[in-house]
Amino acid sequence: MESIDQIMQHDHKRLDRLLEQSAEAVSHGAWQEAAHFLEAFRHGIVDGHMTVEESTLFPAFERQKGDAAQSLTALLRKGHQDLRIFFEEMAEAIHEQDAETFEDLLSTVQTILKQHDAREENELYPFLTNALTDHGEAAGRRILDFEAEAKS
Amino acid sequence: MSEYHGCELPEDLFYDLDYVWVRPEEDGTLTIGITDPAQTMSGRLQKARIKKIGTHLEAGRHVATLESGKWAGGVPVPFAGEVMDRNEKLLEDPHLINIDPYNDAWIARVKPDDPPHALDKVSTGSAAVEALEAWIKRYGVQCMRCSE
Repeated sequence: MESIDQIMQHDHKRLDRLLEQSAEAVSHGAWQEAAHFLEAFRHGIVDGHMTVEESTLFPAFERQKGDAAQSLTALLRKGHQDLRIFFEEMAEAIHEQDAETFEDLLSTVQTILKQHDAREENELYPFLTNALTDHGEAAGRRILDFEAEAKS
Repeated sequence: MSEYHGCELPEDLFYDLDYVWVRPEEDGTLTIGITDPAQTMSGRLQKARIKKIGTHLEAGRHVATLESGKWAGGVPVPFAGEVMDRNEKLLEDPHLINIDPYNDAWIARVKPDDPPHALDKVSTGSAAVEALEAWIKRYGVQCMRCSE
């Protein structure tokens, strides 16, 4: 199995592609397809990626780094909280077939994700193998299970 | 006016204890903006989108989105209501938020659906300031204002 660092980075790329597919469908007015891809993206990122981070990865990082980790994980948790609201707003824009609002939200969400993912990949993931008692095997498996579910 | 780590925290405003301040107006609307520590954390703002007048928002939804070179985020409303006015100047020059976040750079005025309970989820006075100081410490913010 790949390292937890590699698995999480790979999951970022997979989720980015799903969001791009939703945006592509919106640009063609394929609203049903857009809703399908957005829901696949939301499920993967909220129920999979963020849940694993908040329940396992952030606490392990905080235990290892102590107070030095707090401002980073607080910022990342806050980012997740904001993103969950944006995803709901994007789903509403698709439901209302409002491409202009969707595009505005997409621009903001992609900016947030770019910055958020870069921080995780540079400041968090490289330390996880040592921070987790099983070197991230269980967390990695949960992410891979979500990826497999999405493919099936 | 309280100050902590260089951040101004007016005690007469209401706060969601995150990014947002709220000021009740005489006409029953509530003015919304972002705090000094929030504008510092965001960096020099380059883009602002504010919901159109007449838009109805549920509590927690974004009345505006803001972007700088290093940050992007939303401005949630702490109560449900209708956008009655928005600060058009910010659409042209969002950087005003970095200069005067509590006055000239208000973001929107919202008429709450349920006025008696509109401020139920926001805090004010010394309790709010204390919670905001903890917020500033948690995120390691040292406030800076732009002069122009």
